[in-house]
Amino acid sequence: MPKQKLNPLPSAAFQILLALVDEDLHGYGIMRQVEDQTDGRTRLGPGTLYSSIRTLLEAKLIEEVDVPADARPGSERRRYYRLTSAGRKLVRSEAERIADLLRVARSKKILRGAHV
Amino acid sequence: MFENIYAWLMRLYPSRFREEYGEEILQLFRDRARDEKGFYRRLRLWLDLVADLAISVPREYYYFEPELIGASADQRLGGLPSFVVIEGGSPRPEALLSGGVLAIVVLSTCSIFLSQAGHYTPRRTFTAASSQSHRYKDSSPFGGQASPSGTEGGNGTSLFGRSIVSGRGPRTGETNNSESGGIPPDSSESSQTQRIEDARNGGMIHAAKGYAQVDAAERGRVIHAAVANLKQYYVHPEVAQKTSDALLAHEKNGDYDAVKEGGAFAALLTKQMRDTSQDMHLDVLYSQEPLPEHPLGAIPENRERYREYIEHNNCTFEKAEILQHHIGYVKLNSFPDLSLCESTARAEMNRVNDAAAIIVDLRENRGGYPDMVMLLAAYLFDHPEYMYNPRENTTQQCWTRSPVAGNKLADKPVYILTSGLTSSAAEHFSYDLKMLKRATLVGETTSGAAHSGVFHRIDEHFGMGIPEVKPINPFSKSDWAVVGVEPDVRVKARNALETAIKLAQARLQR
Repeated sequence: MPKQKLNPLPSAAFQILLALVDEDLHGYGIMRQVEDQTDGRTRLGPGTLYSSIRTLLEAKLIEEVDVPADARPGSERRRYYRLTSAGRKLVRSEAERIADLLRVARSKKILRGAHV
Repeated sequence: MFENIYAWLMRLYPSRFREEYGEEILQLFRDRARDEKGFYRRLRLWLDLVADLAISVPREYYYFEPELIGASADQRLGGLPSFVVIEGGSPRPEALLSGGVLAIVVLSTCSIFLSQAGHYTPRRTFTAASSQSHRYKDSSPFGGQASPSGTEGGNGTSLFGRSIVSGRGPRTGETNNSESGGIPPDSSESSQTQRIEDARNGGMIHAAKGYAQVDAAERGRVIHAAVANLKQYYVHPEVAQKTSDALLAHEKNGDYDAVKEGGAFAALLTKQMRDTSQDMHLDVLYSQEPLPEHPLGAIPENRERYREYIEHNNCTFEKAEILQHHIGYVKLNSFPDLSLCESTARAEMNRVNDAAAIIVDLRENRGGYPDMVMLLAAYLFDHPEYMYNPRENTTQQCWTRSPVAGNKLADKPVYILTSGLTSSAAEHFSYDLKMLKRATLVGETTSGAAHSGVFHRIDEHFGMGIPEVKPINPFSKSDWAVVGVEPDVRVKARNALETAIKLAQARLQR
């Protein structure tokens, strides 16, 4: 199978991992969560989404899980995805890396406003 | 039907990807199609899908390649390398055909939308110091924008100014001054353009979107004050009369009744005044925050802060050096007050005096004082030259004081770097040197901020800019107001320096 490089972690893959931090989601749920967490700036297209999901599955950063018990009865069968412990570790280290960058940017005063 | 179209387009993906995720992808499409109804949202859905296909299809094929190469290297038959095909070959002819058709459809759709888009009259916000009636140049040396430290410029509530919505349409590339590192903006006009998306970050969203409401009484008051100001101050009385009549006719027709937002109202008045008068310097301005009654420039503390700022920033001369091939490079981020910076400016020009060609970088220059424009232009001529300025009638000031003693730059090739940020006094400098064929402009079209009007405060929230002089433009009918100054060599601003260096080298090698 093709190997998509995850180092550096692509933005789409990072967003997907972040989306799965709180709960297991299916593809459309991930897309919506990513849209929400980026204030509508990022809408992952189907091809990009599933291409990234496949890569993350191969890297064992996420795993496929059974349909949650609280899924709507009678709804279409969907694949749900869950963050693995390796995925959680990676998303945390990536977030810390970005936080470090932000600190540097702050110290150089290139950010506008005190709130960022 | 849409699902069938998308299912057909999915055949562009490699078969293995389709087999693995085809059904999931179709399900996602169905979900989005179910939730995103209406013309706009449906259009956005299709644009998303097309963009996604354009990105993900090549990538899917691309990611198979490394494995193909890696596999072949490992496979050896009798000691000789052999090749193993993993994916079923290149895209099928029908996939290529459908890709071609898709590309044509997308391009045609984009063309149609662009041609049908109509006239977009965006508003722009800027901060202004103002008074009952004073020239822009008489106000705050900071133009009510960035603080000297450059750290307050983005919040739109700086010490010196307030947010204003103007009817003047922005050009692309106009940004918050804070992006230029807190460089004082065009202090000759005290007004400062700012991109709406930047303003949004700075908490000026309400002003930028014109959310603040105006009632019928205020609309009437503004219209009648605008009419009175036009008749009293506008340079051509007959045009003032015609424009006033047009505004009153619009009012009588009830054209303003539905306009309830301050920013939108100012934009509409501006457009109507310009349509009638054909004068792009007329402006109606809206400020959500109350406009001061006195010019901020008159406040001594502001003057003192400006002085401190330019002293700490080398009068905004960021660089003045000789590059390779004896090309002089001056990066100037404003045209500072001559009375404070004359010696610095002369010293910086002396640093490049031996250059064989000179590049003046105005890509982050938001304007400043016309006196400084004249001083720097003087170095580029060996005789007094007339510099047109739409803000002034012809005076002694409009002639450069050339030649400058000891100056060697008067006959050297000049390149000016411009961007969408380049504004006002920087446009004055660029425009005149271009028209005089003394410089080659390299970069992007400038912002189009002529700011030649005199500011008249109407009430707490509204004001207007009215040109009170009409100098004759010796070069053409119009100056750079709104439309900006076109570069001679159009390149992205970030590539302008590199391009100018190449041009200068080629010129010097002749």
